[in-house]
Amino acid sequence: MKTLLTIAWRNLWRKKRRTLITASSVMFATILAIALMSIIEGWKDEMVESIISNTTGHLQIQDVLYHDESSIDHALEYEEEVKQTVAKYGDDIKYTVPRIEGFCLGAKDIGTRGVFLTGILPEKENRMNDLSSRLIKGEMFSADDNYAVIAEGVATQLELSTGDTLVLIGQGFQGMTAAGKYKVGGILEFPLPEQNNTMVYLPLKEAQYFFAAPDRLNRLIMMMEDEREADRLAQQMQNDLDDDWYTVKTWEQLMPDKVAAFEARDAQVKVFVWVLYIVAGFGILGTVITMMHERLREFGILLSIGLKRTQLAIICMLETIFISFIGVITGVVVGFPVIYRLHKNPIPITDDDLKEAIIDFGLEPVFSFSAEPGIFIYQAVTIFLIAIIVGLYPVQKVFRLEMTDSASN
Amino acid sequence: METVIKTNNLSKVYTDTAVPVHALRSVSLEFRQGEFTAIVGPSGSGKTTFLNVVGGLDKPTEGHVIIDGVDIATMKESKLFDFRLRHIGFVFQAYNLIPVLTAIENVSFIMLLQNRPKAEMEERAKQMLEQVGLSDKLNVRPAKLSGGQQQRVAVARALASKPDFVLADEPTANLDTESAFNLLDIMAKLNKEENITLIFSTHDQRVIERARRVITLVDGAVDKDETFNREN
Repeated sequence: MKTLLTIAWRNLWRKKRRTLITASSVMFATILAIALMSIIEGWKDEMVESIISNTTGHLQIQDVLYHDESSIDHALEYEEEVKQTVAKYGDDIKYTVPRIEGFCLGAKDIGTRGVFLTGILPEKENRMNDLSSRLIKGEMFSADDNYAVIAEGVATQLELSTGDTLVLIGQGFQGMTAAGKYKVGGILEFPLPEQNNTMVYLPLKEAQYFFAAPDRLNRLIMMMEDEREADRLAQQMQNDLDDDWYTVKTWEQLMPDKVAAFEARDAQVKVFVWVLYIVAGFGILGTVITMMHERLREFGILLSIGLKRTQLAIICMLETIFISFIGVITGVVVGFPVIYRLHKNPIPITDDDLKEAIIDFGLEPVFSFSAEPGIFIYQAVTIFLIAIIVGLYPVQKVFRLEMTDSASN
Repeated sequence: METVIKTNNLSKVYTDTAVPVHALRSVSLEFRQGEFTAIVGPSGSGKTTFLNVVGGLDKPTEGHVIIDGVDIATMKESKLFDFRLRHIGFVFQAYNLIPVLTAIENVSFIMLLQNRPKAEMEERAKQMLEQVGLSDKLNVRPAKLSGGQQQRVAVARALASKPDFVLADEPTANLDTESAFNLLDIMAKLNKEENITLIFSTHDQRVIERARRVITLVDGAVDKDETFNREN
C-alpha cells in the first residue's frame, strides 16, 4: 500500500500544471459553494433572529387554544404551575417576556383606528428586542406607570402626540368590556408598516387591568441560553405542564408559514448549489478523462508487468483523493478568512429599492454572511465526495482496459 | 535442457477489423531453459502477437501455451496476473519504466508486488543495477537517464525477480548502436549468469547476430527455426 501511495502522490507532481489546475477548480468550487451557502445561511440567520427577537422568542407557553384562536378569552393564567415549570428549567432559559395583547379600537376626538394593544414589561422587551431604541419622541414607561407608548403610524393617523390622550375600546376577558383613557408618553417608529400603523403599548399590569384579565397572559415568551435546545426544552416543559390547559411551542411551530418559506427558498438555493456542484464535477471529469487517455499506455504496461487491476485502480483513486483533498482544504483555508471577515463586516446594500425593501422587512440592509463551521464542513465534504465520484471514471476504465491495446497505444 | 515454454498449434485471428487478420497460424514451438532466441520477421509477421500470447497478455484464438506444466491460454485473468508476476519478465521497446519511481524503485517494483522481504529486494535490485552498470544511478528517475540507461534499468527490472523467462519486444529498436551493443552484452551476460531464457522479437540485425536460435515468422507462421552454435 505504501508503494501505491508513493506512486499516486508522485504521479500528481509529474504534471504540476495539470494537478494545480485541477486542484484549483476544486478549490474555486469549494469557495463558491461555501460563499453561496454562507450568504444564504447568513440571510436566513438574520431573518430567524429578527423573527425570534421581534416576534416569537425561542419558545412560548400559551393557553392550549390560543394558537388556533387568538382571543383574549384564551389568555393563560400565569399561576404557580407555570412559574414552577419555568423555574425548573432556569438553566436553559435566559429570561422570560410576558405579554398580554389584543385588537381594540383607538380613538382621539372623532378619529378612530384599529390598533393592536400589547401589555409589556419594558425592561424585558428591551432585553429581547431593544424596543426603547425605536422611540422617536417622549419616553418609555416603566412597569408601574400607566401611560401608553404608540407607534408613529398610529400617532399620525389619530393626530396624536406626546401628552395627548388616547382612548381605547375593546373586548376584555370573557365578554368584559375593555375601555380606558391613556396619556401618550412616547412614540415609536417601526420599519414594518403593519407594526408602525397598529402598535400601542401599555405596561403589563395596566393592560391586564384594561382587558379585565389580572394575572393572565396571552403568551409567556422564553429566550433560551442555547436555541439549538429549543425542541428538547419544549418537549420537557410540555411533559411537566397540564396539556389540557397549556401548550409549549417553538418559534417554528408558531410561524409555520415562515418555516415553509425558508424551506421553499432552501430548495431553490439547493438547485443553484447543485448546478455549481455539477459544473465543478464536469471540470474535474474533463481533467480526469484527459489524464486517463494520456496514460492508457502506461496503465497497460503496469498491468503487463504484474500490477493487478485493483492496485492500479487504487493508484487512480488515491490520485483523485489527493488532488480533491488539496483543492478542498485550500478552498476552506482561503475561503474561511474571507467569509469570516464578511461575517464580521457585512457588505452594505447600496441599491435604494432593495435597501428599502429589506428595511421594510425589519432587517439590516446588508449582505450578511454566516461563518457557521457546519457550512464549511458540509460544502467541503460534498465537493470532496463529488470529486471522488468523478474519480470512479478512471477506476472503471482500469477494469475494462485491454492490456495489449493500451500498451501498444 | 528443461522445456520452459511449449506452444501447440497456436493461432490468433483478429476479427475486429474489416477483414479477419490471421496474426498467428498454428505455431508450435518449444523453448528450453537458458535459450537466447530471436523471433524475427517483417512487420506484421506476428512477432509481437506471439510474445503477447506467450506472455499471457493476449489470448490465442486456438492452441495452447504450456508454461511450467500449466496452459495459460485457458487461465482466468485473475490467476494469469499472478502467474505473469511470478514467472515472466517483460522488456518493452519504449522502456516503459514507471516515471515517478527511481531506478532502484523500478527494479524493486516487481519484487515488491511479489511481497519479497525488503532487505532481499534492495540487495537484489542493487546487484542487478550493478550488473547493468548503473550502480551510480540508483536514486535517479527515468527522465534523467538516457534511452540506453533506461532500457538497462528495464532489463534489470525484468530479471531481478528471477522469472522463468524474459520476453523482450524489440528492446534495441530505440537505441543507438553503442547503447544497443551495451544492452546486448548485458543481456547475454545475464542470460549466462542467471540461466534465464530470453526471447526477443526484433528486426535488429545486431540482435539476430547474437542469438543462438533464430525463429523466422512469415504471415503468422514459422518459416524457419535455426540454431547457431555461437558464444553470444
